[in-house]
Amino acid sequence: MSEELADRTRRGPGRVLVIVYGIFALSAGARSVVQLTTKFHQAPLAYLLSAFAAVVYLVATVCLAMATQTSRRVAYVAISVELVGVLAVGTASLLVPQSFPEATVWSGYGSGYGFVPLVLPFVGLWWLWHTRSPATP
Amino acid sequence: MIIRAVPGPVGPCEDHRVNSGVERAVVVVSLVPALWAMVLVVRNRGIDGWLLAGAALVEVAVLVQLIVGIVLLVRTDRDVARLTFLGYLIGAVLIPPAGVAWGVGEKNRYGSAVLLVVFLIIPVMVLRLEQIWAGPVV
Repeated sequence: MSEELADRTRRGPGRVLVIVYGIFALSAGARSVVQLTTKFHQAPLAYLLSAFAAVVYLVATVCLAMATQTSRRVAYVAISVELVGVLAVGTASLLVPQSFPEATVWSGYGSGYGFVPLVLPFVGLWWLWHTRSPATP
Repeated sequence: MIIRAVPGPVGPCEDHRVNSGVERAVVVVSLVPALWAMVLVVRNRGIDGWLLAGAALVEVAVLVQLIVGIVLLVRTDRDVARLTFLGYLIGAVLIPPAGVAWGVGEKNRYGSAVLLVVFLIIPVMVLRLEQIWAGPVV
């Protein structure tokens, strides 16, 4: 039963979704390590957001790959946060560009990454919904 | 009449380009298996021996790129975002094995699609490496 749920979640197109999330977790993580260690004082807000984004991607990747009932719930939360994050940071980076002197994954709605960060949470939430088990609300 | 198909170097300074031979090799070595991955995706096949061989070649290419990149970093006295550059070099080495490990379990088009994503992301990373090496656009 739960094995079925796991297979539905992480197999098929879910495989591709997980690798894309994984690549974003890696790149956002690496980027934020560089930013926090070398120039944190320059733009603390932007760099903390960057680190936060990295954690969100990492949690989403791991939870989608585990694909248990609990991890799916965590993934729902993480991806929703991701959606709010990319919309909020994207908007903020356009309104107060001076707070974002250097791009984060989410600034300009992810324009530095081909807008994939904007599309990804929609796809992720849709996929979780699409693969939900009939028994779980 | 001779038509020059290949333009000469366009950069303002030769040193502003990363070792372009290695870069070009990495891009070609990843785009060829990307084409094969596309064929497998269309035909709904999982990762086959050829695609695995392609992934191995890509891994060799990004390892060479890592070594050459580190040598370049050590040698240059220009103001390059060194840590970021190194991050991309190392990231490119980590992604193909992760893609193979995650993709082989799926015996249909989605397994091959995982590697397609990997093979397409490598040229993007090479492009970023080149941008980082050239320095910030002011």
